[in-house]
Amino acid sequence: MQSRFYLSLMLISGLVLLMFMAFAGYRELAPEWKKYQKEYKELLVKGAKDENAKKMAKNFSVELQQLYLGDLKRVDRCTSCHIGYDNPAMANAKLPFKQHSGDYLKNHSVEKYGCTICHYGQGRAPEKDEAHAAIKATAHAAGAGAQEKQARKAAPTGEEHKVHWDFPIIPVQYIQSSCSQCHDSEFLKNKGGGKVVKGEEFFREKGCKGCHKLNSIGGDLGKALDGVGSQPIAYFPMKDVAGERNTYSWHKQHFVDPRNLVPESEMKVNVTEEEADFLATYVLSLRAEEVPKKYRRIRDIAPAAAPDGEALYKMYCIGCHTTGKESMYDEIFRRTIPSIKNPAFLKAVDDKYIKTVVTEGRAGTQMTSWKTTAAGLTEQEVDKIVSYVANDRPKDKPELFDVTKYKADTKRGEDIYKVRCALCHGKKGEGALGINLRNPVVQNADLQFLAMTARDGRANTPMPPFGKKGVGLSDQDLLDVVSYVKTLSKAKK
Amino acid sequence: MNVNQSGLDKFKENILSLGRSFTESYLRSGKPTSDKSRTAAIVNNFFLHVQGAKTHINTLRPTYTLGLGLISLFLLIITIVSGVLLMIYYNPSIENAYNSVKDINYVVFAGKLMRNIHKWGGEGMIITVLLHMARVFYTSSYKKGREFNWIVGIMLLILTFGINLSGYMLPWDQLSYWALLIVANIIQSPKELTDSLGITGLFDIGAFSKEIFLGGLNAGKEALTRVYLLHIMLLPLFLFIFLGVHFWRIRKDGGLTKPDIYEPKPWDSNLMSVPDKKGGIFPTNKTYGLMELAHGRTPAVDKDVENSVLSWPNLLVAELAVFVATLAGVVVYAFFIDAPLKELANPLIPENPAKAPWYFLGLQELLSYSAFMGGVGLPGIALLGLALIPYLDREQDYVGTWFSNRQGKLVALQALVVGTIVNIGLLVFTVNFGWFRSWWPKVPQLLITLINPGNIWVGFMIVWSLWVIKKTGSTRMGAIALFTMFVVSYVIFTMMGTLFRGPNWDFFWSTSQWPVH
Repeated sequence: MQSRFYLSLMLISGLVLLMFMAFAGYRELAPEWKKYQKEYKELLVKGAKDENAKKMAKNFSVELQQLYLGDLKRVDRCTSCHIGYDNPAMANAKLPFKQHSGDYLKNHSVEKYGCTICHYGQGRAPEKDEAHAAIKATAHAAGAGAQEKQARKAAPTGEEHKVHWDFPIIPVQYIQSSCSQCHDSEFLKNKGGGKVVKGEEFFREKGCKGCHKLNSIGGDLGKALDGVGSQPIAYFPMKDVAGERNTYSWHKQHFVDPRNLVPESEMKVNVTEEEADFLATYVLSLRAEEVPKKYRRIRDIAPAAAPDGEALYKMYCIGCHTTGKESMYDEIFRRTIPSIKNPAFLKAVDDKYIKTVVTEGRAGTQMTSWKTTAAGLTEQEVDKIVSYVANDRPKDKPELFDVTKYKADTKRGEDIYKVRCALCHGKKGEGALGINLRNPVVQNADLQFLAMTARDGRANTPMPPFGKKGVGLSDQDLLDVVSYVKTLSKAKK
Repeated sequence: MNVNQSGLDKFKENILSLGRSFTESYLRSGKPTSDKSRTAAIVNNFFLHVQGAKTHINTLRPTYTLGLGLISLFLLIITIVSGVLLMIYYNPSIENAYNSVKDINYVVFAGKLMRNIHKWGGEGMIITVLLHMARVFYTSSYKKGREFNWIVGIMLLILTFGINLSGYMLPWDQLSYWALLIVANIIQSPKELTDSLGITGLFDIGAFSKEIFLGGLNAGKEALTRVYLLHIMLLPLFLFIFLGVHFWRIRKDGGLTKPDIYEPKPWDSNLMSVPDKKGGIFPTNKTYGLMELAHGRTPAVDKDVENSVLSWPNLLVAELAVFVATLAGVVVYAFFIDAPLKELANPLIPENPAKAPWYFLGLQELLSYSAFMGGVGLPGIALLGLALIPYLDREQDYVGTWFSNRQGKLVALQALVVGTIVNIGLLVFTVNFGWFRSWWPKVPQLLITLINPGNIWVGFMIVWSLWVIKKTGSTRMGAIALFTMFVVSYVIFTMMGTLFRGPNWDFFWSTSQWPVH
């Protein structure tokens, strides 16, 4: 044979080429959806009741299904596999042939809405893994335990398949978060949107906006929540998420135990598993992109009565101050949260003082400034909160303390402080069980207020009255000690 | 022909002989069955006549060329064909680019395979073009009138890099977007030098070039349009022009280089068909191709004719075989390995680490030492150095022999070993101890621009090859040392950037140690 080397090279590589062209052709001609549609056709034929139906079933043509949704800027090919979605005969069939549950499709024709507008997932992909875009937890972390690594080894490779798609299919427990894109809560309440409505209620009443801004109103300890429901996965630390690693699991697990996912989190939340579901559903409904107007069914209902003081207190304050009746040391904030509805406190301060604290906040603490330019409350709203807080003020006026009668001796005050106060407030006033006395609000308060507080104590808190009626310090002692307290900010830590 | 034939009869006869008369009109010298008609088949064909009518057996030896230039050309053809098919669906707008690539992957018939072929064919070109350059270098094929063609080859290398890079940015996914930003920052890197010289205020060449490239201050739709233009038109246009020149000059130089003294080996008979002695116009051992009649010093007139064979069919069979093998290789690779496509580009989520495509990660490693030197200085020096090799080494011996001689082999081996040790040592030092900035945080940037691991490495290469020139008394030996070290460092720096750099460009033994987000 002539040119033996090159001819054999050509022959061998030609055979390899033809072989792989054939493989590739087969792969192209036998996609996943075709397999499903053929199975579906068999189901149709088997389920046909009469000759006519059988004939129709046999005429079912296997072809790629596509919903082009120009207004929604989507292309959904989900129905290529979920082919029985509108066939009542498939009500009890297995997935993916099962008919769509409920009567949702009656008012939401797939031709107009498609699938992914509610269910998320990657509509363009006609393959299960890519379309559902499920991201299984895998142990590619260096810190992953041996057990996890073992599990990873045991798992079939398909489980590790990483789909680069930010919005995997949403688990049905959170699906109602999609409803509120178009429907208002009044409507949803009675029409199967109970979860998201409940979630919204919790959101209002658990004081979430005390730390999180929404539509630029709310505190700033936490992240603003606008559009949080459609933020991509990369925004969230997914390392410790159990189960599927997506934003849905993240939100749910974050409500159950925030510090498990974000160790440095200061988020205060105390909810049951079920409530966490509601809250996650609501938070997931806060999406950045609005659906086109003609899809929305949010009615112009009369605006609900403006929230009263109590509602506002729940919305913005309850997260940290709880009922406001007890002061307690907070492990996460590492400080004592004052009991602002404590009668003893209210007796000592007037509305103006409370209003100042609410509008200006307390620098150096977690207390937010609630004025319009900061957390975004109007003055009327602040007034409502103040008067709600002041509701519990006792009628009797406190006995005033005349600071001009005595001359303060801070040296003597220091000695008394060490004996009487340091145990709770710390040797240098840094706070322990008691509040931090070095904080600006204490340091800027007038002597009279401090002396009265020391004298009368705070009922329902660990702070006892130190005056004659309690521990028994004289007015001179009290003045000395509070004068010393006011020097603490200058002292070295 | 019968003059008495009626018109209709003639017409009928013409129809019946249509096949034959068409073949005759196409192959005007008849079927390539004789030496004469085989020669004519080459020289009369527009596409084939860039090759000589006769080919030296040395050219057919796979151990000499390794087929690298041909493979590069065939990869180019494969990427062009697959690229045109991709263009049918691809939409170069930031709204639709990503979706159209998704559609190519998901629903276009064989779209995913075509995209894989396009991607791997293009990136394969980088490897084969670099290897082809190495082959040309080590066989001294840049000498004896081929000096300028070496420079054309370097232009082709740059264009190959450019086309690959611009293609990388088109899908508009996270990889594209952040690679685009890295490239924009490389383009901006002269700013580091102008800043430390204090002349940025005069004319900010860095920011200016970046703005020209991106079509604005940020990477957006203008940038995508420009990159698309570069990828499908401007760069290919230049590539074709330079490719034409490249081939034309090879033809004018009398084909590929070959050793002065050629020794036929028995195995050579596997590379060619037995010459057809009958009906030839040439005497058995004495032939003149058309080029051999030209005067001047370039063509190999009357040299080694006894070791030449007719290009038809010998060369064409070899070429076709290499083409089929190349295509098979790309298809098999593309069948198993998918071209990456990440999430939609999101300017708010930086990839950490944001990496350029792999073939630029060596540069990115240098860039991490000094933006100016890594982005402009060192690549500029490297390309200039490569271009100057034929002019600085003018020894004309050993053309067509791998590594020139025994000494050349030793010099190359020595440079390989020493280069690998020194280069890795430099990286180990930098990773463990940092550089000026980590020792004296307030050190002026100019000092780092001037003295950094990248510069030190280039300096070492230059000093080493000068020492080799001094020791051996041969510029060719110095060139071998320099080129070997260049190849070594390209590979090592690229591997460093690809395999061992993680988030914040920190060192990691493997990606499995990267901190998980």
